[in-house]
Amino acid sequence: MNLNLRDVSVEGDGEVILSNISYDFEPGKIYILIGRTTSGKTSLMRTISGLIEPTDGEIYLGDVRLDEVPIWKRGIAMVYQQFINYPHRTVLGNVEFPLLRAGVSKADAKAQALAMLEKVGLTEFKDRKPSQLSGGQQQRVAIARALVRNTQVILLDEPLMNLDYKLREQLREEFRVLFKGTRDSVTIYATTEPTEALFLGDELLVMHEGRIIQHGKPNEVFEYPSTIDVAQIVNDPPMSIVDGEIKDGSVSIGKSLNFALPSHIKSQSAGKYKFGIRASEVILGGTGSNSEQGEVSLSEVSGSETLLYVKLNIGEVVLQLEGIHDYHIGQKVTISLDPKRVFLFNMDGSLCAAPGN
Amino acid sequence: MTNKFYKRLFLLPGLLLLIAIIIFPLLFTIRVSMANWNVSQSGLDWAGGANWARMFHDGPFWSSLLRLFYFSFVTTTLQYVLGFAAALFAWKGIASRRFFRVLWLIPLMTTPSVMAIVWRSIFREDIGAANGLLTKIGVDPIAWSTSIFPATVTITVAEVWQWTPFMFLILLAGLLSLPKEQFLSAEIDGASTWRTFWSITFPLMAPISIGAIIIRLIEASKIFDSIFNLTSAGPGSATETPAYYLYTRGLREFQISYGATMGLMYLILAILTLTILGQIFARLSKPRGI
Amino acid sequence: MKKIFKFLFIFLWSAFVLAPISWALVTSFKPPAAVNNGATFIPWLQFKPTLDGWKDITGVSGYANLFPPLFNSAIVTFFATLISLTFGCMAAYGLSRFSYGWKHYKNPDIIFFFISQRIMPPAVLAVPFFILLKSLNLLDTKQGLVLVLTSGLMPIVVWLLVDFFNQLPKEIDEMAMLEGCNPFEAFVRTILPLSKPGLTVAGMFSVIFGWNDLFFALVLTFTNVQTLPVAVVALNGTVTPFWTLSASAIFSILPLIGLAFVVERFLSKGGFAGAVR
Repeated sequence: MNLNLRDVSVEGDGEVILSNISYDFEPGKIYILIGRTTSGKTSLMRTISGLIEPTDGEIYLGDVRLDEVPIWKRGIAMVYQQFINYPHRTVLGNVEFPLLRAGVSKADAKAQALAMLEKVGLTEFKDRKPSQLSGGQQQRVAIARALVRNTQVILLDEPLMNLDYKLREQLREEFRVLFKGTRDSVTIYATTEPTEALFLGDELLVMHEGRIIQHGKPNEVFEYPSTIDVAQIVNDPPMSIVDGEIKDGSVSIGKSLNFALPSHIKSQSAGKYKFGIRASEVILGGTGSNSEQGEVSLSEVSGSETLLYVKLNIGEVVLQLEGIHDYHIGQKVTISLDPKRVFLFNMDGSLCAAPGN
Repeated sequence: MTNKFYKRLFLLPGLLLLIAIIIFPLLFTIRVSMANWNVSQSGLDWAGGANWARMFHDGPFWSSLLRLFYFSFVTTTLQYVLGFAAALFAWKGIASRRFFRVLWLIPLMTTPSVMAIVWRSIFREDIGAANGLLTKIGVDPIAWSTSIFPATVTITVAEVWQWTPFMFLILLAGLLSLPKEQFLSAEIDGASTWRTFWSITFPLMAPISIGAIIIRLIEASKIFDSIFNLTSAGPGSATETPAYYLYTRGLREFQISYGATMGLMYLILAILTLTILGQIFARLSKPRGI
Repeated sequence: MKKIFKFLFIFLWSAFVLAPISWALVTSFKPPAAVNNGATFIPWLQFKPTLDGWKDITGVSGYANLFPPLFNSAIVTFFATLISLTFGCMAAYGLSRFSYGWKHYKNPDIIFFFISQRIMPPAVLAVPFFILLKSLNLLDTKQGLVLVLTSGLMPIVVWLLVDFFNQLPKEIDEMAMLEGCNPFEAFVRTILPLSKPGLTVAGMFSVIFGWNDLFFALVLTFTNVQTLPVAVVALNGTVTPFWTLSASAIFSILPLIGLAFVVERFLSKGGFAGAVR
């Protein structure tokens, strides 16, 4: 059944938390909600599940007006970013609980719970208490509990957020298998991580300040972010934005940096623009007019990559380098921009041209 | 919505039960304070504010209130300081053994009125343990019940004995639930025990302390059982507190209306004091900096 | 220096705690001469212990029998605690999870209202409670005393448990609701099983304050439902000798001292952690 949101708004304490959200979620797809921490992802999920009452709008599941159904009758499963399980029940007891509540017989509940535990690889821990498990295992229990009921809607609120990097990658892989198996339900997955979005999502919904500001296939959104906000959200590290100008058939950024118009922005009229460059597409080194020297203001290692924040005359630019490199703050480096890979936004922040794939 | 039903289901039974029990006594007290009622009379007459006027000129009432400042604030402070010390010792180290923890909890479990009787037998001037011990070490016996200061001391001792374990229990439970990380880092920094206490333990314990102190102040201000059984407010009225004074006027001399008036006045003053204290505590316990 | 202070404190404090109880215990075995001729402390050495005091209070000598009051105290305390705990923990849960409001009164005001029930000195409320119970025909009954005690015990329960519930993650009961429990079932099936430490602390304080209440029992009951403190105070009011009085004191505090062991056990297991914040 489709999950249909119509003009859903939530206000609290005079603040707008969600504003006029309308969207039609189809069963069998994984929807990724991406946005910054306070963008309203969690609020949207809590509204769908009934933990928050919408101030306006309607939510339908098929023909049923969902927002008039009490939480405990909605049949929606949810996984939190904290590892929430019932501390006083065993792992098996945790997974059985939703089934028993739904009226499944004791024997069936046990069988289904055991099958589910098998899927998430926790069979040998079935008699332990959640507190005796590692974080990753606890979250698997929570996921098993959410999946075991075969609900129409499954909500996952940054389930990998509190896990370490390695475990995240591993679980991400498993998720793809687990969620694809639940073809008949709407799966909504909130995250701040573009990689998760690209990896798992069938559809990507970008949230910002309580609104859905863009939606589409993850790749499309990634390649054609409609605004600077979207571009910042779907790129990690965020896209670097610098002010520049198109004049006399060439692009000039700041005082010294300039290059000829690349093909994808050839048709743009002259004037002031904002230029965006992905961290992974900034080039270290170079001597041409598309390069500039600056100072390292921060260098951090994240996983197998090094992020370099470089202060230039034109503004701060982030570089993503493969491998682990050692740079010290204040070190002089030269970077250059690849004209073919620049995003062009107008001064209001809307996309004018993208390099495409 | 159905949520509203459940929301009410939780609070209302308890709240309504409490209101049902308390509403009549409260309204009755207010009404009777404006009458001149004694038990033999069948109906309530109307005396307007006569009792209230009388109260404002009733010296003993106000001096009993002043005395209460001593009894509640001094005993609560002593209980807090001693209770905190005991809790710190029972937290780690030698006194954290079961024996000491149980032992130091015992007074809390005993009945104050019964213990007051025991204390009275201890402070009996002729055959009591206190003077018995004093004579053994060559000190002159003390007139515990007939001079003002010693009588005050006996009450203070009884109250400190009885209720320090209350502070001890709450503070020890609080200490045991403190996050360990901060203490580790303090240890690594090589902070002295004393500094660790003032800069980490004490601030972390502030919320618990405030709750415990407020509850103790409320209870200590009703101090009655120990005075009733230990000194009977004597010598003279030297250890008379409002609770005892209005018991005497109201229940012993059957000036029920006047007793009710003083009770209401006491209630008003107590709520005012607690509100002000609550504000002060809230301000004091606000995290500094940030 | 620091160590000396520490040991001194531990020693002196332990001695102070033990002093009145051991005095009463020793006195309860004293013959008249050992009491009336000045203070004596050491049995066998200073006097020959007798059981007279204990015979006086257990009905053996026909002087007094504290067993019926013990029974009354137990019944009254048990039911007052049960009622306070049941309604108190529900109210506390509500106050910790939902926001209530009536005009500009909000949750903290409601909590203060509960606590404020403990402010009024019992002497003021005694008369109206007397009249109330009389009109309900509950004077000198266990039910009447339970009712009155409940009004004093529930506030303690609410005060302790609101903070306790605040510390339990609300996601746990949300989860239960999402998995098909209505809020009440969520409370019973997930929150209560997790609240044993909190309920124990609250129950313990409730038992202590209920068991030790003197005033209401004194005014609202007479002969049928005499509680232990009342019985002991009544003995104190007559010409009861000190050894008998001491025996009665020990007799009446003994049952709750067992509670100190229970409390300590919880404390050591960390069961208290978070029970009082």
